[in-house]
Amino acid sequence: MKGMNNLLLEVNLNEKNFKDLRISDEILENFIGGRGLGVKIIAERLPTKIEPLAPENLLIFATGPFSGTTIPTNGRFSLVTKSPLTNGIFYSNSGGYFGVFMKKCGYDGIVIEGALTNPGYIVLDDTGTPKIKDASNIWTLNTEDTLKQLRLIEGQNIHVLMIGPAGENLVKISSIMNDSARAFGRGGVGAVMGSKKLKAIVVKRTNGKVKVHDNELLKKYVKVAQDKIKVVPITRSTLPKFGTSALVKVINILGMLPINNFQKGYDERTYQVSGEEINAKLTQEQEGCYACPIRCGRLTKAGNMRGKGPEYESVWALGPNLGIFDLITITQANYLCNMYGIDTISCGGSIACGMELQQKGYIKNDSLKFGKSTSLKNLVKMITYKEGIGSELSEGAALLAKKHNSNETAMHVKGLELPAYDPRGAIGHALGYATSNRGGCHLTGYLASLEIFAVPKKIDRFTIAGKPDLLALKQNQKAIEDSLVICTFAGWALGLDYYARFLKAITGIDYDVIQLTEIGERIYTLERIFNLNEGLNKSTDTLPSRFLSNPLKDGASKGHVVPLELMLDQYYNVRGWDSNGIPTKELLKKLKINYENA
Amino acid sequence: MSVDESIYKIFKKIGKHLVHHGYNTSHSGNISIRSGGKIIIKRRAAMLSDLEPEDLVVCDLKEEDSGSLLASTELGVHRAIYLETDAMAVIHAHNPYCVALSLVENEITCIDAEGFALYKKIPIIDVEIPAGAYYTSIEVPKMLKNYPFVIVRGHGIFAKGMTLEDALQYVTGAEQSARIRYLTLITGKSLLRDYSKEKDFSLW
Repeated sequence: MKGMNNLLLEVNLNEKNFKDLRISDEILENFIGGRGLGVKIIAERLPTKIEPLAPENLLIFATGPFSGTTIPTNGRFSLVTKSPLTNGIFYSNSGGYFGVFMKKCGYDGIVIEGALTNPGYIVLDDTGTPKIKDASNIWTLNTEDTLKQLRLIEGQNIHVLMIGPAGENLVKISSIMNDSARAFGRGGVGAVMGSKKLKAIVVKRTNGKVKVHDNELLKKYVKVAQDKIKVVPITRSTLPKFGTSALVKVINILGMLPINNFQKGYDERTYQVSGEEINAKLTQEQEGCYACPIRCGRLTKAGNMRGKGPEYESVWALGPNLGIFDLITITQANYLCNMYGIDTISCGGSIACGMELQQKGYIKNDSLKFGKSTSLKNLVKMITYKEGIGSELSEGAALLAKKHNSNETAMHVKGLELPAYDPRGAIGHALGYATSNRGGCHLTGYLASLEIFAVPKKIDRFTIAGKPDLLALKQNQKAIEDSLVICTFAGWALGLDYYARFLKAITGIDYDVIQLTEIGERIYTLERIFNLNEGLNKSTDTLPSRFLSNPLKDGASKGHVVPLELMLDQYYNVRGWDSNGIPTKELLKKLKINYENA
Repeated sequence: MSVDESIYKIFKKIGKHLVHHGYNTSHSGNISIRSGGKIIIKRRAAMLSDLEPEDLVVCDLKEEDSGSLLASTELGVHRAIYLETDAMAVIHAHNPYCVALSLVENEITCIDAEGFALYKKIPIIDVEIPAGAYYTSIEVPKMLKNYPFVIVRGHGIFAKGMTLEDALQYVTGAEQSARIRYLTLITGKSLLRDYSKEKDFSLW
């Protein structure tokens, strides 16, 4: 298919060998690339009930037909694996430059299986001779030092995916870092890479070109898209000026900024950690990914440390959710998470759970007190190295709470810690948490775009009607975005009507919006089947009990709970799943899913 | 299935807007949403400008059911749009400027700033018999796969959206672009700058 190389690099770490894995046009036309391609491969190849940290697990990185073109925000690429945190399928998405240059080297993606005996790293370039090299000298280094060392060894013109000590130590909330501070976050994907004794993947910058069917037409569409990004306020000024932390004040005003492990939804002190405060006190420079006109990234300085971020979710997870409003401490803890390779949301979610356990007397540990900022950085380190209470926290909130017989203190879905929107404040968004194939995730459907930001138009955030339908559509649309691959922030200005035209110009295939949505549905449904086979089912399509029965006591979302049962049945019906949440045979036939375990 | 009070309020607001601003006559046009695997649609012959709660009819999304006894005569088009596109809400209106231009043009390229930022062009289609559901239910969904709206020549506009307000903006926005184009054309003067040609909106 034009726009792709139809080629993946297959790496067997047991045998330390490589082979080319040709991908047919038919697969690409039906799954596109990125997340869709990864899901197709893992669903077909990974036997059920494989332990996520066993060598058999697959780690798949994949680009899409947009990667490396002139389309705005095409620098993102996808990862698919089985998560040690959820025991289900996991997709993650990261920006930067690595994906584009992997594709320019001739590979649409990499499929990694097996495990090395001793630490190693992979080097890719455009010569067609990838290598596995010894990583014993960089194993144990943090990600900042790893990057420095690899640049000394491999040259400055490289991009690197790597794990920090957290991934090496199989911390279940660890990330894979992407150059200096971008990440494949969530789901403990760093531990999967660590279990394979794979410290890093290096790609060398090359001048490879992406083959496009009609360059002139693409150029015209891209110009129109760039104009649109320039005139929509969120992409023109809000994200460039404040980054994602613009959300801090807004979500607090709506009474849905989780405070003290989701025990409250509003706190007046939140202005101390707002986007405005970050801009005024920390921001040094803006930065962006490949081909991105939005440039939402931030180079910052906090006290004697420098780094990137914090993003909205990180500010919240390491701040208000722990009762901490000290911006310097929050930002430095965020830097440490990046250096150790830990997911900030899950890190904050696990510590918050520990703090509530302490608050309620289930555990006794003075460092785990809401509002105690002096312990935070040390807790991040203890999680990384599994020291003391850090060992329990490193397993994630769900296991931590279970161990102390207090499941109600873990704010998670399917084992994945929840992000920074109290679900009681937007019930469609809440349904998205409950049904996301990767667990407690805000990005999979993001109905907040309508319920909070009125894009494309406002809907009542406490009303049920239409929410299951809208959510299913948005989940399908997100699956296709992650497969093309394009940044979710482009969606504030553009949408599938643009993406279908881009794809048509790239491939020469007459895609329309509806075909893309159906491909998204195919991907989403296949993920669901994978999860059902792993034991994730209707019983795990749920939310922590406080969201179902304990209304918030103050703020603009006061008095509301999530009517999940009422929405869930409708959602299954809308999706063409039976009353137990199992996709029907008719649906599988319509979506052309021939999965032997379906 | 009873209709939620909040849904009724939205129908009432949108219906009133369409009639009071001249997009429909007192009883013409129809509006619907998709919800929980059903279609909620305006009742046939109900006054669009003054909908009562019982003027909202719940019908099956996938096949004909007894709800169609009361539903708008264009239920078939709405159903086809929901089944074949990503629409969550549909409005059918008889926008005067869109209809007028559709009689002399094959597509309406937007020459006003809002139009070229948001819509680029408004496609026009011919159907064998423009009014009634049968022919439009075949042709309209095809166009709504790639456009938020389409004009049936000499008849009116069908617009989809994620919500009724979203669809309303497409209806009103299309009319505004058509009106600007119409008013500009009747001056008889050539455009000093035609952004739609500079950006090749006919390719969109």
